[in-house]
Amino acid sequence: MNAQPNQQTTLSGITRWRFTLVLAVFGCLLGAVLVRLVMLHTVDQPFLFEQGEKRTVREEVQPAMRGMITDRYGKPLAVSTPVVTLWLNPQQVNVQQLPAVAADLGLSRKELTRKVERAATQGRSFLYLKRQVQPELAQQVLKRRIAGIYGDDDFRRFYPAAEITAHTVGIVDIDGKGQEGLELAFDDFLQGSEGSRQVVKDLYGNVIKQLKVNAVPQPGGDLALTLDLRLQYLAYRELKAAVSQHHAKSGSAVLVDARSGDVLALVNQPSYNPNNRASLRAENMRNRAIADLIEPGSTIKPFTVAAALSSGRYFPSSEINTAPGFVRVKNKTIRDHRNYGVLDITGVITKSSNVGVTFLAHQLGAENIWDFFSKAGIGQATVLGFPGEAVGSLPYPEQMDALRLATVSYGYGLSVSPLQLAHAYTSFTQGGCRNPVRLLMNNQPQTKCQRVMPEKVARQVLDMLETVTSKQGTGSRARVAGYRVGGKTGTAHKVGQQGYEDSEYTAVFSGIAPISSPDLVLVVVIDSPQGKEYYGGEVAAPVFSRIMQQALRLRQVAPDDGSLPTLQMAGGPA
Amino acid sequence: MKAGAALLWAVVLISALAQVGVVHGHRTLLQEWQQEDALRVQLLQEHTRLLLEKSTLTAHGRVDQQARKQLNMTEPGKVQVLSQ
Repeated sequence: MNAQPNQQTTLSGITRWRFTLVLAVFGCLLGAVLVRLVMLHTVDQPFLFEQGEKRTVREEVQPAMRGMITDRYGKPLAVSTPVVTLWLNPQQVNVQQLPAVAADLGLSRKELTRKVERAATQGRSFLYLKRQVQPELAQQVLKRRIAGIYGDDDFRRFYPAAEITAHTVGIVDIDGKGQEGLELAFDDFLQGSEGSRQVVKDLYGNVIKQLKVNAVPQPGGDLALTLDLRLQYLAYRELKAAVSQHHAKSGSAVLVDARSGDVLALVNQPSYNPNNRASLRAENMRNRAIADLIEPGSTIKPFTVAAALSSGRYFPSSEINTAPGFVRVKNKTIRDHRNYGVLDITGVITKSSNVGVTFLAHQLGAENIWDFFSKAGIGQATVLGFPGEAVGSLPYPEQMDALRLATVSYGYGLSVSPLQLAHAYTSFTQGGCRNPVRLLMNNQPQTKCQRVMPEKVARQVLDMLETVTSKQGTGSRARVAGYRVGGKTGTAHKVGQQGYEDSEYTAVFSGIAPISSPDLVLVVVIDSPQGKEYYGGEVAAPVFSRIMQQALRLRQVAPDDGSLPTLQMAGGPA
Repeated sequence: MKAGAALLWAVVLISALAQVGVVHGHRTLLQEWQQEDALRVQLLQEHTRLLLEKSTLTAHGRVDQQARKQLNMTEPGKVQVLSQ
């Protein structure tokens, strides 16, 4: 052994310092790994944790189901149904797999591939594949388990009554936000509140772990309207037939419960199908019965007469001389159809005498007329909370000179919506005390009514209105077999660019049935009827008759016309 | 001293096992809930589908037509009105 004294050797003959060196190097490496580990767990931890979360944890929004809109008996007018919205992440999806998906969904194969490729090169990570897909179809697509294709729960709105209730119910956009009508007005109420939760998802979008629930989805409230879908159907059918028969521009009909003021039917022409968004045209979407103002023409005369009777200075039998059939006020001549000579107050309504009501209005004065009309709700907002609801206008007494006062007394120079007119007519049916109109069952009916005229006067006016539908009256075509009906025709010249147009009219009929115990008030407005017939009594009255006849039968109102031969029920309860 | 350490060990082990159990339980429950929720959505869809179907079948226009054509019903004429 040739051992050196200052160098220790191991048994195998390797010097000790080399062994120590190797050990130290390994020790250092281990130390480095340890330091890195500690670094990762302490210093870098928040950053890494966040990055990890970003890749797996998803904030998921759970849509709330929109509330239903129903008619007064719970028949659905707008219903939401669950659907699936399919989307894909162009970064994750394999373009080779797309043709099969396109075939499932009926999309163009080329188009889809092109769109996805373009989105992928733009670096986008979200692309709608198809929105609002039927759940079965969506399942079929998702079952292919193609990476990067996901399905989200969504809702789609359906309108079973389609164009019949479209104006009142309104419409929502593809995101479920109200756009028109009550869908817009009560959007917050119907919408409910979305839920949201934090979840861990895998590549296929399956939820693996639920981390946190921030909010539970709350379904929206249901809205019950006072509309009766059956009455709505038949009013729509008759109105549509009349509008197309007379080639009119538009038309509206409003049916109101004479006792409570509930709106039972509210229809307009032209209408639209809210289920088919492609065919929407803005001009068809306006709810004309609420949003459009018309000059009511002669349908206002009963209010002038009622004002005269309420003053106590006139009675139904009081006589007015309307000869020679015209009267000059300032520099305008107000004419009757022909010279009616001496008429009693009832006759003024039956014959629709402009001269007669002008005389009455001048006797009463602007103050009284204004006071009475505004109490009857003319030119007063109906306050339904409907978007675009028209207020109407009634000139103030100081704005009314002798001519304006005369025109107001027979329905020119003031404006109302068809709904307001129907509402005003309920003053006669509710014993002279008018309830507010109601469109939503959720609103409690108010018990306090607005006194418009004494009960006796309301009754007298009802009886006068009945004479309008007699053989001698202007509205004989509004008659309904078996029932006593009353009403007032109106034919108003439309306002054009140079004042009143000679050949453009609005035909109106506003009526009540049955007269013995009023149940329904109906206003029919036909705008710009073309052809030989344009008078309210010729165009609007027959529509009134048809709607009223069917509505009375549907509501099982007993016939009150005694002149009708009836059969005694044999063996029935007496 | 030794007994204390053993006890601590035991506590650590038990809590570790319990955590595994709880996580498993959570996932099972979540899966169960998801299945139930999917069923709820499915039933909801079925419900609205039936609702829409019903309203189509009972639409006034359809009932009116069926009554006239299939059942040969007519509106009561003048002499047919019954009163008690």
